[in-house]
Amino acid sequence: MTANKPSPVHTGTIIEDDCLSLAQLCQAAGTHADWIISLVEESIIETSGDNQFSGTCLVRVRSALRLHRDLGINLAGIALAFELREQLDTAHAALNRLGYKA
Amino acid sequence: MQYKDYYEIMALARDASAADIKRAYRKLARKYHPDVSKEDDAEAKFKALGEAYEVLKDPEKRAAYDQLGANWQAGQDFKPPPQWDEGFEFKGGGFNQDNPAYSDFFAELFGQAGGRHAHDSRHSQGQDSHAKIHIDLVDSYTGATRTITISTPTPDAQGRVQLKPRSLNITIPKGIKPGQHLRLNGQGNPGVGTGSAGDLILEIAFNPHPWYRVLDTDVYLDVPLAPWEAALGTTINVPTPVGSVDLKIPANSKAGGKLRLKGRGLPARQPGDLFVVLQITQPAADSETSIAAYRQLEAAFDFNPRPLWEHP
Repeated sequence: MTANKPSPVHTGTIIEDDCLSLAQLCQAAGTHADWIISLVEESIIETSGDNQFSGTCLVRVRSALRLHRDLGINLAGIALAFELREQLDTAHAALNRLGYKA
Repeated sequence: MQYKDYYEIMALARDASAADIKRAYRKLARKYHPDVSKEDDAEAKFKALGEAYEVLKDPEKRAAYDQLGANWQAGQDFKPPPQWDEGFEFKGGGFNQDNPAYSDFFAELFGQAGGRHAHDSRHSQGQDSHAKIHIDLVDSYTGATRTITISTPTPDAQGRVQLKPRSLNITIPKGIKPGQHLRLNGQGNPGVGTGSAGDLILEIAFNPHPWYRVLDTDVYLDVPLAPWEAALGTTINVPTPVGSVDLKIPANSKAGGKLRLKGRGLPARQPGDLFVVLQITQPAADSETSIAAYRQLEAAFDFNPRPLWEHP
């Protein structure tokens, strides 16, 4: 180990703050446009006005792909899983706000 | 190398049928899937489950594994017997390529994800890797540089992929929220040939703080008050993650009441607020003076704390 050489500091970007086109979203998630479009049709993700996707969509697309691959869940099931997960997160957050360890 | 009891991981008897194994996998996969599970070590459990299923669902691999015998204990130091795998053929066994880092135990018995070699002849981009990191609340308030350690699948001299710890200095952007993801370009898995490396995706979680609670960009702090402070009003010094502030408590404040310090939550693009949640704590009546003081209070007020129950 060289003691004097400082190791580099990596600066990342916050994915949720990103704005992606359909092509960029496909590339980042490693999937096809057809699959993304079916997620939009199931309202699992939403486009912002000018056909752009927020970084939050990317996180959801990746999560949806894993749920489909690992658990064999179809689109309606994925949408339901996300909805229930959000309800659970909201409930946990409310408990947390009141000082309970969820 | 430690022996792994795949039957124990899947909570199955050694004579479980193929249908039992599939059912157990489905059930446990739902329970431990990192995208739905709230359990702390869900990711590790899901990986262990995937590895166990990889072996037990495949009749060849299962037979070879069973041949090791049932007398091993999970975690016991393990060396495969010589020629233990004679007569078995594992090549091209349909490994899950998205999850290539199996345990040493698995790699010793079955080799690492065989399908990966299919890509060797062409150039392809490396996969993104994912990890969760815990930061302190104050890091989000001020921005910070932190050294994190993550487990990275690293090929050794024999080409076997193992999880190796890797340290990385990263910048924590000011105002990042719990649950957000940070992308570090080119810090993921290396590409093949001239392919570029994938990205490293870090999910941000906050270490629990003894005083502050975070909800999205808002931060909550419980502030205990003496009964007279709440009744008469006062000015108190309250901490915030970036230095204390003087806060005016209005007269007749109630327990559970919230005072908002605008813009003193997480400094995100839309900055959050700091909410001071009032609590009232009373001193014990444990001396003649304090008992007398409570008696005086009782005499001074015509106070019914339970008016709701007056007319049932």
